[in-house]
Amino acid sequence: MGAITHLQLIADVFMDRPFAMYDCGDVKQSMNLPLYSKVCLINGAVFALGITVLVVSPATVSQQVTPRELAVLTCGLALIVVTNALLLHGVLAPLSRLIQRMDRFNIGAPGERLPERGDRVAASVAKSFNAVLTRLELERAEGNARALAAQENERRRIAQELHDEVGQSLTVVLLSTKRALDMRPDDIENELTLVRDSARASLDEVRRIVRGLRPGVLEELGLVTALGAIAQEFDMKSPVNVRHQLTARLPTLTANTELVIFRVAQEALTNASRHATAKTVDMRLLADPESVTLSITDDGRGMSTEGNGEGIRGMRERALAVGGELRIVPGTGGGTEVSLRIPVASQQ
Amino acid sequence: MSDEARILLADDHALVRRGVRLILDASPGLRVVAEASDGAEAVALTRASDIDLVIMDVAMPRMTGLQAAREITSHDAHPYILMLSMFDNEQYFFEALKAGASGYVLKSVVDHDLVTACRAAVRGESFLYPGVESALVRSYLERIARGEAIPTSVLTAREDEVVKLIAEGHSSKEIARALVISVKTVERHRANVLEKLGMRDRTELTRYAIRAGLVEP
Ligand SMILES: Nc1ncnc2c1ncn2[C@@H]1O[C@H](COP(=O)(O)OP(=O)(O)OP(=O)(O)O)[C@@H](O)[C@H]1O
Ligand SMILES: [Mg+2]
Repeated sequence: MGAITHLQLIADVFMDRPFAMYDCGDVKQSMNLPLYSKVCLINGAVFALGITVLVVSPATVSQQVTPRELAVLTCGLALIVVTNALLLHGVLAPLSRLIQRMDRFNIGAPGERLPERGDRVAASVAKSFNAVLTRLELERAEGNARALAAQENERRRIAQELHDEVGQSLTVVLLSTKRALDMRPDDIENELTLVRDSARASLDEVRRIVRGLRPGVLEELGLVTALGAIAQEFDMKSPVNVRHQLTARLPTLTANTELVIFRVAQEALTNASRHATAKTVDMRLLADPESVTLSITDDGRGMSTEGNGEGIRGMRERALAVGGELRIVPGTGGGTEVSLRIPVASQQ
Repeated sequence: MSDEARILLADDHALVRRGVRLILDASPGLRVVAEASDGAEAVALTRASDIDLVIMDVAMPRMTGLQAAREITSHDAHPYILMLSMFDNEQYFFEALKAGASGYVLKSVVDHDLVTACRAAVRGESFLYPGVESALVRSYLERIARGEAIPTSVLTAREDEVVKLIAEGHSSKEIARALVISVKTVERHRANVLEKLGMRDRTELTRYAIRAGLVEP
């Protein structure tokens, strides 16, 4: 260990430089020794210094230790211990700073990482930590995608069953009651009318449920038609005015991606009509060679805090599951803008 | 009876087919001569036998009703087609029109609308279910408000009132009550209005729907 590094170490300890400041300068690089060697070197150097002092100085220790000698020895020992502690602290400080950062780290924010620079030990710990984070995020996205797919499949199955079984049986009831009523059965006409009306009401109800469960328009008539349909639906059944502008030139998207875009549009429209007290909502679907972007902008009261309801969480998870990105920002003219951007590259 | 309309019935549910058949056969002028349980079978039967009207469920296995309708109308001298569906989305209705169907009957009012729709279809007219009619009229009014559409012919004051009520989604019965006229009169106004707006005939209707952006061409 050269004199410069030694002095540097001591200086660092006293100035308590953050480890990130050890950049890739040539001289500083040389002190990136393994932790173990550093500790050994520091201890060795301190002991060597103590012994050198003992040898060079005229001090001796009598057979019968005098109080003065005892005092000198105690001071010497204290000096050695303190020097050692200070030097070791300098070496270990980057690690404890790293640990503090890890404790404060927000695992929930995707893409956030610890800096991997500076002190070699701290950098390599940070590197492994980041690798674990990447793996966790990947697994979480896969888990979410699986859960969402399972949920959609289950919904589709229930919808299919309702439509095919309950729906058709009710249709048969309607048709049969009509036949029965056509036969003019005067004494039970009222009862039959009741049967007919409640069969009709149930059929309407089944239709409503099936529609909520399975985006049939999406599957049969495609994304653009389906988005137009929900825009129109919200326009009619809620007091807000929903305008839409949807590009017809879309790149080929996977069925999964189309479903994600559709569900995000559904939730964003629901939120805008439920929470925003908006007058107008604009839905846009744009495509460029790299990506497809859905944006839903309202002119309402804006979002006070980034809400953490199920709805917004679900939108984020869905976006992540198909490699997209969801942003919720204040709209340019007040209100809120929700935008979902999906890179076309994720569609292969 | 050679002037009876010969009907092919296509639905994957045998009980629904039976129910529809019993009602149609009991109606003078309509007779079910064949049944199919999926879209492909319907297409094949239409080719093989002499059919005037096909009544088809929108959702069927093997080939959906919409696909089958496209297939059937791709040939010259094809029969009229009536779609039967659980769903009241306008998009399905317009898609059915685009596929060449003459009408669209909602299952929840099938007992009420089916025979009327069949009669309209064999006369070569289109059949609009009540919900879609109000949507059409509403979009028409919006276009006028935006200055995009000029009324092709002037409506009478009464017809104007009827149009507004239709656009608000009221049924004939409600309109009759509101205007203190008979349901029959409302129906007559309604027919006149649709005629004047060019929405009576299927081609006109489709053309209008495409112009209004209700379907993509
Ligand atoms: N467009 C918006 N304008 C104003 N506030 C909004 C908007 N969208 C969401 N918020 C606020 O964010 C909160 C969270 O929304 P989120 O969709 O996550 O949950 P939710 O709508 O309350 O319930 P749900 O789980 O049914 O969706 C809402 O309660 C609302 O206060
Ligand atoms: Mg919500």
